[in-house]
Amino acid sequence: MKIIVINCGSSSIKYQLFDMTKNEVIAKGLVDKIGLHGSYIKHERNDGDKVRLEGEIVDHQIGIEYMLGILISKKRGSIKSFDEIDAVGHRVVHGGEKFQSSALIDENVMAGIKNCVDLAPLHNPPNMKGIYAMQSLLPNVPQVATFDTAFHQTMPDYAYMYAIPYSLYTKYGIRRYGFHGSSHRFVSNRAAKMLNTYLKKLRLITCHLGNGASITAIKDGGSLDTSMGLTPVEGLIMGTRTGDLDLGVLTYIMSKEEIGVQAANTLINKHSGMLGITGVSSDMREIEKAAFEDNNDRASLGLKMYHYRIKKYIGAYMAAMGGADAIVFTGGIGENAPDSREEICQGLEFAGVEFDNEKNEATRGTEAIISKDNSPVKVMVIPTNEELVIAEDTARIIKEIK
Amino acid sequence: MSERLADYSLQKKIVQGRNGGLHKIGLIGAGSLGQEIIRCICRQGIEVVFIDRTEELLVQIMESIDRQLDETINKWGITDSEKRAILSRIEGSTDFNAIRDCDLIIETIHRKGRGTSVSDRKEVFRKLEAIIDTKTVIASNNATLMISDLASALNHPERAVGFNFITPVSKVGIVEVIRGLDTNDVSFDFAIRFIKMLDKRPITLNESIGNISTRLIVTLINEACEVLMEGVASINCIDDTMKLGYGLQLGPFELADRVGLDKVQKWMDNLYFEYSEQKFKPSPILKRLVRANHLGRKVGKGFYKYEKNKIISQAITTTDYI
Repeated sequence: MKIIVINCGSSSIKYQLFDMTKNEVIAKGLVDKIGLHGSYIKHERNDGDKVRLEGEIVDHQIGIEYMLGILISKKRGSIKSFDEIDAVGHRVVHGGEKFQSSALIDENVMAGIKNCVDLAPLHNPPNMKGIYAMQSLLPNVPQVATFDTAFHQTMPDYAYMYAIPYSLYTKYGIRRYGFHGSSHRFVSNRAAKMLNTYLKKLRLITCHLGNGASITAIKDGGSLDTSMGLTPVEGLIMGTRTGDLDLGVLTYIMSKEEIGVQAANTLINKHSGMLGITGVSSDMREIEKAAFEDNNDRASLGLKMYHYRIKKYIGAYMAAMGGADAIVFTGGIGENAPDSREEICQGLEFAGVEFDNEKNEATRGTEAIISKDNSPVKVMVIPTNEELVIAEDTARIIKEIK
Repeated sequence: MSERLADYSLQKKIVQGRNGGLHKIGLIGAGSLGQEIIRCICRQGIEVVFIDRTEELLVQIMESIDRQLDETINKWGITDSEKRAILSRIEGSTDFNAIRDCDLIIETIHRKGRGTSVSDRKEVFRKLEAIIDTKTVIASNNATLMISDLASALNHPERAVGFNFITPVSKVGIVEVIRGLDTNDVSFDFAIRFIKMLDKRPITLNESIGNISTRLIVTLINEACEVLMEGVASINCIDDTMKLGYGLQLGPFELADRVGLDKVQKWMDNLYFEYSEQKFKPSPILKRLVRANHLGRKVGKGFYKYEKNKIISQAITTTDYI
C-alpha cells in the first residue's frame, strides 16, 4: 500500500511517499516559495537520488502537479502509474470541535475544515488548497485529513474553557484547542511500547520542544490538558512567541506603544519568546553558546525562564493527573538538547524523577530512557514523526472502507 | 539538454515564463507615497524595480526605505529578518529598461508646486509603451486625474488602469482601482488581483476626478475651514467633534496636516477646475497657510504645531479669524 502524505503551508508543500507494507519512506521532498520569485521543488528518493529544480510554481495546484510528475517520471520517479497510489493523507491544522480523529475527506468534511478557517486563517486555507489540488489531479484516490487539534479533543471542559463570558464560546468557539496533536500522540504511543504497557494505563507528560513548543498531560490514553490554546501562542516560552502572558500586559503595551492589533500580533508572535528576552536569537544553540561561552546575562536569563516555565507545567500536570509515570521529550530541542532536559528535570526528585545524567548526555535524536533504572517516573527521549501518524491513520481509514 | 522543472509537468500545459504571474512590479517615481507602496508590495514577497531620475536619488530612496522599515520594527510591525527580506526585493535604477520584464507597472510620479502633472505622466506612459510587452498593465497612482486622459498617450489604452493608494499605505485597508473608458476586463481584473495580493480590499470604480475618497475628504476639510473662519469653534473642537462624534480616526484638520496642505489645495484646484463647484474651491485659510509654507506635519506646522511628529498645540486660534 502506497500513501502520499502532504503538508501544505502558505507558500510550501512538504510531501512524503510511504510504502506502508514495508513501513518505509520511498521518496520525499519540498515545494517552496509557491507564488513567489525563485520557486523550486526539492526531491529525494530513498536510494539517494536527489534533485532541485527551479521554475515558476504559481500555486499549490501546480506545485502538486510537478510533485506527481516527478514521482511518476522514469528518471527521478518511484512509481510507474498513479494506480499505485492507494490514498493521500493531508495534515490539516485546525479541526475545531468537529473532528476528534482523522477523517475520510468528503463534502461534509471539507465543509467542516472550511468552518475552521476563522480559527486558523493562516493554516487551514493552504491545507484546503492541497486537498482541492489532489482531488482534481487524482480524483479516484481517497483522501484523508489528520488534524493537529484532534488528539486534544479528549480534554475535559474544565481544562479547555477560558474564563471569559460563556457567550463568546458559543458565538465564536473561543476555547483551548491545543496543537502538535499528531506529535503528542505519536510519542505517547511509542512511550507505551517502550515501557511495555498500554497507553491507557499510563500518566504521561509529553514535551514537544521545537521552534514552537507545547506540553501535554496524557491520561487514560487521551489528552487531559495541553499548553497551547485557541492559537499556538499560549503556554511555553518559544523561539519568538511569548507563551503565557498576563493579558493586561498586552493592552498596556498597546496603549503605551500606540500600536494596533496587527503589530501587537507580530509583537507576541515574532518579537518575543527567547529572541525577545535574549536579544541573541530564537535558536537554542546560539543562545546556549552566548550564555556559556560569552557569559551573556540575558541569554542565561532566557534559558532559566525557558526551563522554569516547562518545569512549572510539569508540576502542574503531575498535580492534575495525580502523578506521572513518564516525562517524554521530543521535537528539535527535546530530542537534541541534553542540557535543557537536565535543567528541566533538576529538583523533581521529590516527585519521583531520578534523572540519569550519563544516559542523558549520551542521547541525541534517538529513542532512550534517560532516568535511572529504578526511577518511579521515567524520563524518555522519543524522536517524533508526524508524517508517519498521518500515513498510518490514512492506511487505517482506507482499510476500513475497503 | 539540462533538466527543467517543466519536463515534469503532468499536462504539458504549464508554460514556463509569463502566465499572468505577479512576481515583479515596476514603479516609476519613488517619492514618499511611492516608497510606501514599495514597502507594502515587497512585504508580500513580490519584487519591485523602481525608477527615479538620478543615481543620487536612488541612494537616498533606499536609505529612506531602510529608515522607514526600522521605524516599523521599533513599532513591532516587522522583524529584522523580515526587513532584510523586504530590502532584498527592492532594486532601483535610472534606466527604464530595468523594468522591461515586470508584470505590472505603477506610475507614481509627482510634481512639486501648482498645476497638474498630466503631461509628465503622459510622457512616462509613452516611454513605457516603447519598451514593455503590449499586454503589460500600466497603472497610474493619482487622486485627481483621469486615467483616460493619460491612456490617450498609449497605442494600447486598454491596458491602463488607475490606482489610488491612501497614506499610510501600510495601515489603510483599501485601494481605489479605477477603470478608464478604454480599460479592458483583463487589465482591470489583473489590477484587482494585484491589490488583493497586497491584502487590501480593492474598491472598484469608474473614473471620476477625485474618485470617492478625495472628493469626499476635501469637502469635509474645506467645510471645516469655513466653520473655523466663521469663528464658530476652535480647531480642537472641530476635530474632536468629528473624531468622538462620528468615530473618525483623525479630525479634518489633523487629516489635512497629515496629507500636506499643499497637496490638499492641489486636489481642490483640480476638482474645482473639473466641476466648477464652490464646494471644491480651496478655502482662503488653506491657501494662506500654503503660501506661508505651513504645509502641515511634514514641516512641523500647519493647522497644528508639531514636535517629533506629535501635536503640541493649535497653530491658529479662532480669534485670529473673528
